[in-house]
Amino acid sequence: MVGASSAAPASGIRSIPPHLALSAVEGKTYPAVTSVIDPERVAAFARAIGADPADGVPPTFAAVYALAATGPQLFGDPEAAVDFARLLHADQEFEWERHPQAGETVTSQGHVVSDISRRGMRFLTYETATTAEDGSALCRSRTLFIIRS
Amino acid sequence: MKRIERAVTFTPDQIAAYAEASGDHNPIHLDGEFARSVGLPGIIAHGMLQMGILACVAAEAAGGAHRLRRLYCRFAGMVEPGDTVAFAAEDAGPGKIALSAVNQRGEAVLTKASAEYRSS
Repeated sequence: MVGASSAAPASGIRSIPPHLALSAVEGKTYPAVTSVIDPERVAAFARAIGADPADGVPPTFAAVYALAATGPQLFGDPEAAVDFARLLHADQEFEWERHPQAGETVTSQGHVVSDISRRGMRFLTYETATTAEDGSALCRSRTLFIIRS
Repeated sequence: MKRIERAVTFTPDQIAAYAEASGDHNPIHLDGEFARSVGLPGIIAHGMLQMGILACVAAEAAGGAHRLRRLYCRFAGMVEPGDTVAFAAEDAGPGKIALSAVNQRGEAVLTKASAEYRSS
């Protein structure tokens, strides 16, 4: 019976794993943000990436309706304490159930999946779920941010 | 599936247009002095601009953007104005596409890049 607790100091105080000690936002979900897929912005976005605006909403317009919609909530959150100048976008994944159409109203919600500090670097995984007006799933965005210290 | 390849030479104008359209106004993409003050050689292209071009190549390979159901990449290298990046898509089995983005020095700027698509 005593085996399991024998590693703990006699006082009963255990050291807290560093990522738990440092993250105030792991598991945090931000309020949902509703926006309209603006046709003019879609066209400007398509031209900027060299796509034909006639082909509709480019897949990575999710950078607007998912990332730009919910990222500011994370970056502006004092609890998250993200120093924008030390922020690196390390990787990105999008999964689509369906691609939204121009003019459609969508709702995106950001969530901190994990926030781990290791060797002076912070690895923060941020996920955004985007749904259509009827609540059906459109897109899931998953981003790894690295914040240098 | 035939291999799809597109070479893009990045310009400050394209980077500024992407900043405007995407809403990502981080000064490392727009202000050379600021970029150098944080240890960069100068302004750099958005990773998401590179991924956007990669997605176009993937969409062409998949037979339409509406078919893409997953897209992933790591942002592995900096892209500066004047750099030419070759974005490519090729068959990686049923419903899968292998993607790459390599600059004029042969360095991969996006790595582990892949896409999955629906057949309709």
